[in-house]
Order: sequence, then structure tokens, then C-alpha cells
Amino acid sequence: MKTKRFIALVMGMTMAVSGLAACGNNGGDSSDNGGSTDAGEGKSEFKTADQIDKESLKGKTITLYTHGGNRVLGEEKKDADGNTYRDESYAYLKHLAEKFEGEYGIHVDLQVNSTEDDIRPLLQTQDPSIDIYTSPNWSIEEWQQYAEPYCTVSEAKELYGDYAETMYNDGTYIYALMPAKTYNNAVVYNEETIKKVGYDSIPTTQAEFEEMCAKLREAGIDPIAMHRIENWPLSTINDFANYVAGSNDAYPSMLKSDTPFSESEPMGKTIKMYTDWKSKGFFEADIYTDFGVAMDSVGNGNAAMMLFGAWVVPQIQGRVPEGGDPASIKFAPAPDFGNGQYVMASAADSYAISKGSDDKEAARLFIEYISEDAQYLADSGYIAMKKGVDPIVPDLYKIIDDAVAAGTCKVLYAYATDDNSMHNEEVLSEAGLLEDVKYVGNLFDVIDVTKEPDWAAYDAQVEKQNKAYVEAREVLGYSWQ
Amino acid sequence: MSNETKLYKTVRYIFLICASIFVFVPLVPLIFMAFKTGAEYSATSVLEPPKNWLNMYNFSYAMRVGHLGKAFLYTAVILTISLAIQVTFTAMVAYILHRFDFMGKTVVKVMFTLTMFIPVVATQTLIFRMMYAVGLINTMWSVIILYSGVGIVGIYVMLNQLDSISREIDEAAMIDGAGYFYTFAKIIFPLMKPACTTMIIINGIGLYNDFYIPNLYLNRDVQTFTVALYKFYGSMSTPFEIVAAAIIIGMIPIMIVFIFLQKYIYNGLAGSVKM
Repeated sequence: MKTKRFIALVMGMTMAVSGLAACGNNGGDSSDNGGSTDAGEGKSEFKTADQIDKESLKGKTITLYTHGGNRVLGEEKKDADGNTYRDESYAYLKHLAEKFEGEYGIHVDLQVNSTEDDIRPLLQTQDPSIDIYTSPNWSIEEWQQYAEPYCTVSEAKELYGDYAETMYNDGTYIYALMPAKTYNNAVVYNEETIKKVGYDSIPTTQAEFEEMCAKLREAGIDPIAMHRIENWPLSTINDFANYVAGSNDAYPSMLKSDTPFSESEPMGKTIKMYTDWKSKGFFEADIYTDFGVAMDSVGNGNAAMMLFGAWVVPQIQGRVPEGGDPASIKFAPAPDFGNGQYVMASAADSYAISKGSDDKEAARLFIEYISEDAQYLADSGYIAMKKGVDPIVPDLYKIIDDAVAAGTCKVLYAYATDDNSMHNEEVLSEAGLLEDVKYVGNLFDVIDVTKEPDWAAYDAQVEKQNKAYVEAREVLGYSWQ
Repeated sequence: MSNETKLYKTVRYIFLICASIFVFVPLVPLIFMAFKTGAEYSATSVLEPPKNWLNMYNFSYAMRVGHLGKAFLYTAVILTISLAIQVTFTAMVAYILHRFDFMGKTVVKVMFTLTMFIPVVATQTLIFRMMYAVGLINTMWSVIILYSGVGIVGIYVMLNQLDSISREIDEAAMIDGAGYFYTFAKIIFPLMKPACTTMIIINGIGLYNDFYIPNLYLNRDVQTFTVALYKFYGSMSTPFEIVAAAIIIGMIPIMIVFIFLQKYIYNGLAGSVKM
């Protein structure tokens, strides 16, 4: 379940780059939208915020369901005694909704759900009590069933550029607007912790990075907190495989190979690299009972780094104990694994209008309002990207931005969902390797850190997975297109 | 005391100690967690006792932020109404099945028994749509209706109780001019108190702990205790020390009820077994 949640989140943040346009709401029954668009003639079937009659919407209440509880309830923090509390100053979505109500007289009722399954029955019955929701990990069929088309892909491209391609879409319509962009999985670290072993930044080469990890381990600090007790953290390896390959298609490119899990291929090489780090003790020695505890460990200095996306940075900053400096939690590019330094970028945050909503125009107006509030998006850890909106770049991106500006780190835009990526997923599923990120976990778990690493057993598992993958690909009849 | 008796006693105690360990060990980390600070929980083993046993922060935070008071109130209202309906109807059904012979009696019993084999989730899409159609979603009446159904286990508990109530009592009442309903309501039903109490406790605990139905039907303002508890769970992280405190708070009403009504439970179950 958490794998799904994480993939949903990553999709939200991981769908690739650029600007926006007539993405407004048609206000009427979207099922009448058909598949055609007049966008090419400059005439849209969807209303823009300017075209919506705001006076008629005054006094209405719309309901937004989000899995991002921290933006509604506030960031989880620890007080001087170490007790947990919610700091409401971080409840950015709540504050934004209040501001929106002040301006338009439309109340936004914010509800927090833990998973998309919590809201599925309401969407299945087209219950009007849900107007907007965020980030479910759905197939395109489900999006078509539950979400109002937001605008056409071509309209979104006008306003959000190439990033529009990677928003949830069926080739014609966008089903969830993703109004911001972000950098994806990289190195989140505690600067104060790495200083203890003589570093003030993340090394730029793999050898130096591993040397730093070894020094941290020697100093009794967990170099990297992964939270392996759950499966979803392993899926971050997909981005790192792109950094290893120096391209954005390491995952779908598995289709090209008969030996995708061998060290000769980016995915296989990356999984081997992670597993090797495991054998060297670079990951946590203890089991974290919860991802929050894993984040705490970086916040309090028991661990030095996490290999995750920008979204964890504000959460770890909130977990720095009293007296510590939250600004010591930083975000840097992954080291050069042989092909240069890279960082993945994608569209981020997502908002969809429920098909059952009775107030689609008000819902659209609020989503448009979000897309134009650069401060809200920056506070959330994202960068506004709508055409005409001045972006505010959160401080956490500074190191990466500087590296990109200096040309030492290149940006890879997330791979847009296409036949290759979907077919690869189907092949992995057919081979029994998709669920719970087994294509990584089965290999990663071969090595037992309490014993001498058994690399022969690892190689045998590689062979087994390669065979299963090729057989499944043949059964399905897929090949790289 | 013979060697055999000593051996039997020793084995019995060993078994009971082992059983107690199985029951209490999972509770120990829960209790430890509830008194730890968030920072302490993150930094220590779950089997390490808290530094301050008087730290009540998690309990007050859970009550305040989780709106547990409100959740308890809704839970109490839902359970009171649904158990009252359930027990009354179950007793009526059992009384009819026990005291009267009629065509199709076996079929009725079989039908009730068959419902045991249908998983609750299998019918929920259909039932949810029905509840939605009549506008009961997000109202406590949806849950009350679903909880008020008559179950075969309850019927058997009641039937067993009725076996111990002589039919001559019914006949005497009839001779004195009482009708069937009067006889049931004023004479038989009060005599079924142990079975009713057993049902209330056993089903009550089950319903009190149920998460699936209230989470599905009461996703918003009206929340039972289990749904309120679930709200502490985040998509990525959960403050387990707060959850532990909330769980302990949630155990208190059940423990109180159990302590006060345990003699009825044992009587009711003993009655059931006897039959």
C-alpha cells in the first residue's frame, strides 16, 4: 500500500517538465466533453479562471481531499520536551483556502485521507461531497472514470510547456493539473552530521561518496537512512538508475535487454550498487518502525542522509530537535556514478476535479488559484511553472540550482508515460517482480549484513530474474518501440 | 498431594504463564510508547521503558487533536441504538424459532446460517450504493442500520437460553390471558437477560472495534473511535506514541464494561455451552 502511495507521490512530483494555458473548468457536465478540442483554433471547451462567473459562486462550499495532511494540519514537530505536535504555521493549504475564501467567498472544506482507497467509494458513486482530490496512483482508465477532464494536453502545454506531457493524461485530456515542478530523488542530508567526519557538502564522485559513507559508519553514524522495512523506498532506485545511465529511460529501457538485472545494464548496475552499499553497512543498522522515525534519524543526526525527493526536506527540517538548525537539512545532487551528475525534474503536486462534483466551476477556480500562488507552491517545496507566474524557488533547491547553473549537474526530465514504460511494467508484473518493488527487493535482500556477503547467491538471483523477465516479455509479445 | 496432582498443577501453571505472556507482551511496548515523548520514541527501542511514567502529554494530545471525546460519544450512540435493536430483534426471532412450529422454519434457520458464509466486504459495493441512494452516507444511521442486523450466532445464544426457560411459563401466562407479544415482552424477554448481556458484550466489543464499516460510511464529520484513531495515521509517517496513547484510552471503556458485566458474560456463555 505504501508503495502505491509513494509511487503516487512520485508520479505527482515526477512527471516531467514545462508551462500552462486555458486550463480552466468547463463547469458543466464533463462527460459531454467528448474527445475533441478546438484549442487549435484558440477556442477552448474549458473555462479559464477569468471566464468563470465568480459572483454566482459566492457562498458555496467545496471539499478537497488530500493525502498531504501536513499542509492541512501543520508540520509534525517536536517541542522542547521532545513531544510531538503539529505546527499550524506550516498548514499552507489551510491558509491558502482561507485566503481564497476571503477573496471569492467560497469555503474550501479540507479533508485528509491516508490513501486513495479512502475516497474511492465516494468517487465510485460520484458522491457530490467530494470536489477536488490529490494524487491517486491510478491507471488512465480510472482517471477517465473518476476525474473530470481538466483541459486538453495542448492547452496545458501552452501554459506548462513539456511538463504537461507527463501530467495524468490520455493523450487528449489532462485529468489532474500539476501546477508546479520539482527535483526528484537526490541526496537529502544533515550538514551538521557530515561535518563530524570532515565534509561540508556531498562529494561529487562515487568513490568520494563511498569514502564519506565509510567514515560515517566508522564514527557510529548511519550513513544512509532507507527504511527498508517497507518496500516503497526501494522504488527510488529507478531515478538513481537514470543517474547511472545518464538518461531518463533506464526503467522502460529494461525492455531492450535480455539481461536487465545484470551489472551491464543501468537498472542491474544500480541495484548492485545499492546492495553493495548495504553489504558495507551504509544503510541503517536498526529497523525503523515507521518512515517518520527514519526522517527523525536524519533530523537528530543519528543518520546522515536519505536518498529521496525534495518532499522529505521540509518534513525532516521540522524534525530537527530544539536547539538545532533546520537549515542544516539540505538537498544536493547525487554523485557522479560514471556518466556525470544528474538530477531528475518533473511536474509536481496534483489536483483533480471529481466527476461527481456539483461545483466544478468553484473547484476549477480554486485549482487555478493554487496554480498562480507561487508562494504556496514554494512553501510546499515546489516551483510554480504556470506561464505568467513568477516562480519562487525554495531555498532547498539552491545547491542543485547552483550546480545546474554551473553546468556540473544536468537536468533529466522525467520520462513521460508511454507504451514502453507501460509494457515494461506489465512484463515485470507478469514475471511476478512488480508488486512491492520485488525486482529490487529480491536482489537487495539476498545479502544478509550479519553474515559474509554471498555474491554467488546474488548472481543466481540475477539470472533467475533475467530469465523470468525475458519469458514474461515473450509471453506478452512486447519489445522496445 | 500426589505426584500426579503436583505434575498436573505445575503443567497448568506453566501453560497459564505462557498464555499470559502471549497476551501481555504485545501490550508492554504499547504502554511504554504511550508514555514516551516523540523524540524518545524515535531514539529508543520499543522495549525500553519510558523515562517519565508521568508524561501524560500523548493522552491529552490524542484526546484534543483526535477529538476522541466526540468520537466516543458517537460510538456510544451508535452502539446503544444498534445493540438495542439487534438484541431485541434477535430475541424475537429466537423466541419464534424456539417456541413455534411453522412451515419453512428450517429454511429460515438455514437462511440465517448461510449469511455467516458471506464475507462482509463481498456485499459492500451494493450496500454502499443502496445507502447512498437513500442519502445515509456520512450519517450515523447508515452504520446503525448495518449493525442492527440479526446474526445467527446471536440466535443460537438466545435459543440456548430459551431451552432453559420452561414452556410452562408461557402456558401459564396464556391461561392468564396474556397474548404472544405480552408473554414475550413481559415474561420471557426479562428471563433472557444473561443471553442478552452476553450478546451485548460480545457483539458490542466487536462493533466497538470495527473499522471497516464506519470508515467506509462515516468518512467525514461523524466518526467512531476506530476511525478517529485512523486519522492519526499519515500517508508516510505516523506518530505512534500518540496512537499508543489513543489506543489505551480506547481500551478503558471496554475494560470498565467488561469488569462490571463479566459475571453476566460467564453466565451467558455457560448457559450457551450447557445447551
